[in-house]
Amino acid sequence: MSNAAARSTIADPSLAPAGRKAIAWASRNAPVLNGLLRERLADGSFDGLRVALVVHLEAKTAFLATILADAGAHVVVAGSNPHSTRDDITAGLVDMGIEVHSSRGSSYKQWERDLLSIADTEPEYIIDDGAELTMRMAKHRPELFKRLRGVSEETTTGVARLRSLDEAGRLPFAAMAANDAACKYMFDNRYGTGQSTIQAVLALTNFLMPGKRVAVIGYGWVGRGLANYVRALGGRAVVVEVDPIRSLDAFMEGHEVAPIAEAVIDADIVITATGGMRAVGSAHFPHLKPNAVLANAGHHDLEVDVEALRQESSSARTLREGVTTFDWNDKQINVLAEGALVNIAGGLGHPIEIMDLSFAVQGLSSHELVVGDYAPGVHVLPRRLDEEIARARLASEGITLDTLNDDQFDTIQEWVG
Amino acid sequence: MMTGSNNNDAAANAENIAAPELAGEGLLRIEWAKQFMPALSEAGRDLRESGSLAGRRVGIVLALEPKTAVLALTLQEAGAEVAVYADSSSARDSEAAALDSVGVSVFARSDADEAMNAVLLDRFIDFGIEFLIDDGAVATRLIHTSRSDVLDMLVGVAEETTSGVRPLRVMEQEGALAVPCLAVNDCDAKQLFDNIYGTGQSVVMSVIDATNTQLQGKEVVVVGYGLVGSGIAGAAHALGARVTITEIDPIKALKAVHDGYRVQRLREACVTGDVFITATGIGYSLTAAEARLMKDGALLAVGGEGPPEIHLTGDSSVVLGDEVRPNVREVHLEGDRSIFLIADGHCSNITAGEGNPIEIMDLSLAVQCRAVHYLAEHGADLSPAVYDVPSEVADATALAALAQRGIAIDTPTAAQQLDASSWRTNEGENP
Repeated sequence: MSNAAARSTIADPSLAPAGRKAIAWASRNAPVLNGLLRERLADGSFDGLRVALVVHLEAKTAFLATILADAGAHVVVAGSNPHSTRDDITAGLVDMGIEVHSSRGSSYKQWERDLLSIADTEPEYIIDDGAELTMRMAKHRPELFKRLRGVSEETTTGVARLRSLDEAGRLPFAAMAANDAACKYMFDNRYGTGQSTIQAVLALTNFLMPGKRVAVIGYGWVGRGLANYVRALGGRAVVVEVDPIRSLDAFMEGHEVAPIAEAVIDADIVITATGGMRAVGSAHFPHLKPNAVLANAGHHDLEVDVEALRQESSSARTLREGVTTFDWNDKQINVLAEGALVNIAGGLGHPIEIMDLSFAVQGLSSHELVVGDYAPGVHVLPRRLDEEIARARLASEGITLDTLNDDQFDTIQEWVG
Repeated sequence: MMTGSNNNDAAANAENIAAPELAGEGLLRIEWAKQFMPALSEAGRDLRESGSLAGRRVGIVLALEPKTAVLALTLQEAGAEVAVYADSSSARDSEAAALDSVGVSVFARSDADEAMNAVLLDRFIDFGIEFLIDDGAVATRLIHTSRSDVLDMLVGVAEETTSGVRPLRVMEQEGALAVPCLAVNDCDAKQLFDNIYGTGQSVVMSVIDATNTQLQGKEVVVVGYGLVGSGIAGAAHALGARVTITEIDPIKALKAVHDGYRVQRLREACVTGDVFITATGIGYSLTAAEARLMKDGALLAVGGEGPPEIHLTGDSSVVLGDEVRPNVREVHLEGDRSIFLIADGHCSNITAGEGNPIEIMDLSLAVQCRAVHYLAEHGADLSPAVYDVPSEVADATALAALAQRGIAIDTPTAAQQLDASSWRTNEGENP
């Protein structure tokens, strides 16, 4: 047994061949990671660094882990949600010599134990999702938390958590809001989550989109992507939002906008994308259309309050894999993927090309934390690095850009001297 | 095609289904689908109440999955004895077992090779079919040739697909057709929905599901712009792809131009395309001669009929390689390039997916059910020919689907009816 295998806790090492195939396929479709990121990490700055990677553990994440390891880092990996971990991928990673602590469908307790196993490897840097490892180290491993040198964070939810820590004066190191880089939120949240959520909902239900009424709860970048794909594929989206500016944006985009109690009455499918909790809960179950399908595209497993639904229902059963049908009073209510992130827990996650961009941001953010001189606090990836990523992706498509001549600039500089 | 007499022993001795233990799983999936099939349910009720099919033998050749299983059960509930055949590329063992467990005669194994498929089809035909729901006219052609021993029993055929109606019309022209056939495919309640929206969405989704890739920014080349091709183009465009159409028909090509797509010859499109989906239903629509021109990483899928629609053999510079992930086969080209064939060139939405969405199959199978109903009552009086499905079948199906969505439509006023039926100007003004 290799060292990695001895240290790891995973479900089934025999699945390694399938996992390695999936990781190789991800590698084929990742021009920015294979080009720009590998070149940048070749400066030796990651040699011997202890890096923890805690992101939804599927093929693309695993591929990022191998790139960091190739750059000389000592990488340890866990999943940011036990429902999204793929056991073939964890086996593949261990087979490639990387330490992993994660099993699909493990209990919340076991998942936390896995995260603390990662913490106990005393990482210097974390690539985090939802700040799940960072928060747990702050709470359960305060000494190790203080020794952290930097965190790069993947999601809107995680960035908000890190900012809260910072405002409370409890962030003693620099964090990079990878989520806030343009090459992340403009593409990952909108196109990646948008496409793959719709894909997963249709695959899990075997439904047709044309003619469907779909309530989209939350109109951030994810909600925007969802509503637009629903419409483009022939469905009718109705948007539910508490923020007036975003609501107006949805309205001007041509979507219906309504409060939730109205929006869900005739919705065949309800998708949450709020990043908060209980966006669809006890108060809303009475308004749902009979046999409605609920899915979550936000961060929390409880955006759809499945716990409350389970308590209030007389029975629950599974007719199709990934679909739980609850008998709630006199109607059926269906929940996809137990309310976990439906595109990951019930599908293949984001398209590879999208994660090529997002993980390029994560990779360059981590590199920037390692080589740069950042004060404690939450930082955003410098614009020039964001642009480098976009340029690299365009170049991989054979696309070059124009540059402006001097006489094309606005004349304001002449006025201000 | 091989017949029972010269097949190998393994095929000859094979059970009709592969995994009876999967029946429970299949029954649950069938239950899920059934609750979203109101039009079929209503067509089944009409058929059952008529008693027209009681004790009659119906054979079904369709991709065997939860929705077609609901059709088989609906016909069984109407009193028919039902047999189902599906070839291995379109057979799901769990639904096969589920139907078998409730007394439907099933001949379908996902693990069958060509010889075993032929044996299973032969046994299916031995069932003694009176009414045949066919796909690609597979069984109809066989019964008109090597299995004409059962032709006398056959009352009529209801054909599901474009690529099945075509040979039936050729048979009619050549005087070879011996039974009346209803072109279910050509019914508006089927083709305007199934071919466009159902196949369009499900083929495109199956390609991105199988590969975990995105369509935003991709150049998707759709070969053939019939109803299926237009649906595929629409779904790809909706997901952010730039779509190029290739056609041999000038009207369809011009339609594609007006729908906002680039139209090119296939040889030109091959050089720049990222994803190629054929929707022709015709063999050799995309061959090794085109494939060898493609970019590294190109994806190839079939949304039409299946082999040999994409035909990659016969060129030494195009070499089939390993399956690199489920339903994705690497094809090696010169210059260290690889392209990837989805589902080995079978219909990707069926082999790499779950077929058409439930709501679409509700419409198509409701038309099938009503077509069989019509054949049961009128088939013996019809001369051998290919017939359109009566328009009241299409209307009844659409109305049931609208009603389930809570949608009512207008009826024409007396003035409108008069105006629409008159040739004199202004006559409808003052009825």
